[in-house]
Amino acid sequence: MIRVEKVTKDYTVGQTVVHALRGVSLEIEKGEFISIAGPSGSGKTTLLNLIGCLDKATSGEIYIAEEAVSSKDRKELALLRRKRLGFVFQSFNLIPVLNAYENVSFALSLLGINGSELRERTYGILGEVGLGGMEARLPGELSGGQQQRVAVARALIKEPDVVLADEPTANLDSDTGRDILDLMAALNEKHGTTFVFSTHDRMVMDFAQRLVRLHDGEITSDERRGS
Amino acid sequence: MRFLISLAWKNLSRYRRRTLITAGALAVGLLFFIFLDGWLQGAARESERNIIWYESGSAKVMTDEYLEDLKSMPLKHAIQDPAAVEQVLEGAGVTTTRRTTFAGEIFHGEGSLYVKVVALDPRTDESIYRLSETVTQGRYLQPGEQGVLLGEWLAQDLGVEVGEEITVRTRTRYGAFQTIDLIVVGVLNSPNPMINKGTAFIPLSLADEVLEMEGAVTELTLYFPEWKNPEEKIQSLRTRLSVLPGITVESWKDLSRDFLMIAQAKSAGSSVLLILVFIIAAVGISNTMLMAVYERVREIGMMRAMGMKDADIRLSFLFEAGGIGLIGAVAGVGLGVIANWLMVRWGIDMSAMMGRVDIGYRVAGVFRAAWHPQAIVAGFIFAIIAAMLFSIIPSSRALRMQITEALRYE
Repeated sequence: MIRVEKVTKDYTVGQTVVHALRGVSLEIEKGEFISIAGPSGSGKTTLLNLIGCLDKATSGEIYIAEEAVSSKDRKELALLRRKRLGFVFQSFNLIPVLNAYENVSFALSLLGINGSELRERTYGILGEVGLGGMEARLPGELSGGQQQRVAVARALIKEPDVVLADEPTANLDSDTGRDILDLMAALNEKHGTTFVFSTHDRMVMDFAQRLVRLHDGEITSDERRGS
Repeated sequence: MRFLISLAWKNLSRYRRRTLITAGALAVGLLFFIFLDGWLQGAARESERNIIWYESGSAKVMTDEYLEDLKSMPLKHAIQDPAAVEQVLEGAGVTTTRRTTFAGEIFHGEGSLYVKVVALDPRTDESIYRLSETVTQGRYLQPGEQGVLLGEWLAQDLGVEVGEEITVRTRTRYGAFQTIDLIVVGVLNSPNPMINKGTAFIPLSLADEVLEMEGAVTELTLYFPEWKNPEEKIQSLRTRLSVLPGITVESWKDLSRDFLMIAQAKSAGSSVLLILVFIIAAVGISNTMLMAVYERVREIGMMRAMGMKDADIRLSFLFEAGGIGLIGAVAGVGLGVIANWLMVRWGIDMSAMMGRVDIGYRVAGVFRAAWHPQAIVAGFIFAIIAAMLFSIIPSSRALRMQITEALRYE
């Protein structure tokens, strides 16, 4: 599903070169619920950004559904993200002027899906994430947990191959964070969508079926657990 | 596309206050544009009309020599046989009247003033000119009388009133000095300041006698309905007049070249002013769009992460700016039309402010605007397009950022 091969990522800060990733290799299978954990600066967000085609690796290659991403141009990468990848951000990143329904359906309209299909799928996914009846609410009228549910619905509505979630519970209290993780686990089970998290939260690490630990840009452990 | 338009409108209402302030700046710019343009158009059109009605008619027939030396108005270069000219012009679709214009010095009391004296035929002059309608004191001229009609400013400068006597000193056609005693029969206040400030009118038959003109006149004024674009008509009249050597015809445009040049210069100067007004509005829009874009860098990053095309993101900002432009344009045109309507209907009486200051336009007293629909439509479209153009730079700058950088942007 996703293959990361000897990927490095260097940043230049002033005159200093920071090695954010140092030859990381990783394979993620379809339907996995995987957490990439590590302290701040370990390179987990960088790895997630590279898998999400939001950034380019300095060297190495990433394959998504056997497609190498390094040779793709800006437009092709945008198309890949539009069709195959879903994102959940730490700070939700909802469009404040759009209500819950519009924020979610936006992802489908990018794929050219409109009309009754768009309506049915949007109402369906909002019901699944427990926001039935709240479709007309603006983000400002929703709690943090509800906003993250909208973000999860937005990531999942287009039925992507992978959902990438960067610290999805960092802005939530622990109970709400657990609710969100339960929700994502249920959706992973129901739809078979691959979930990749970055986190330094113990609860999220415990929740994952597979835990990859990063330290100073290198994988230090890769632990698979039973579901 | 519908989504982008809907997003743009929602963002406009999200920052309602800022939208209204920016649209307001644009509306004020457009209001000034319509107001000034209407005013300039009105002044130019009224000036043209006042030149035709009070100064030159549609055209004048003169001798070549008189035309060459028009400033000194030499009587010796008069048209010897005006009847022959009238005969040639018969059936040409023109109305004619005879006039003799010459330089003179008016004496009254201890003072004197150099003026232009126009000798006119009261029986035919009104078929072209509208002087009789502007008489404010006394009455209009009668044929053959020893009377004079003075412009209001001239009468004031001389300190003369209706019924009093003045003396005009001039030279006859043959260069001999001649003095003419005249009774002021009327004072006129023409909308054309050139008439008010330095012109005296006497009957043509009197001038013919005292200036030894023997039937000659310095000019024949013509009126024809095609006066707005007289070139073709003038050409055909010149062809007709070619049978009379030394006789020529000049259109009001050629005779009023000074005014047309001043009007053009003013129009160009006003355009610069209008451009400045729009630059101020443009800075407002640019600033608003800059703030709108930079407040939404993370939002832009998220949209790009989700795979939205850069062109679509740019388009949504274009629509947003276009929305501001549309609101500003509608308000600006609305206010501009109201202001212009007030100016067309009532105008502004500038006499107290300007006194006798000559600003080149042949308008005195009340300045009225005119309707100029092309400029209103052009201003409306320009406001929207300019607003949209000013959104391109900030949105392009935000789109040049790395997505990861945009997502982290605070």
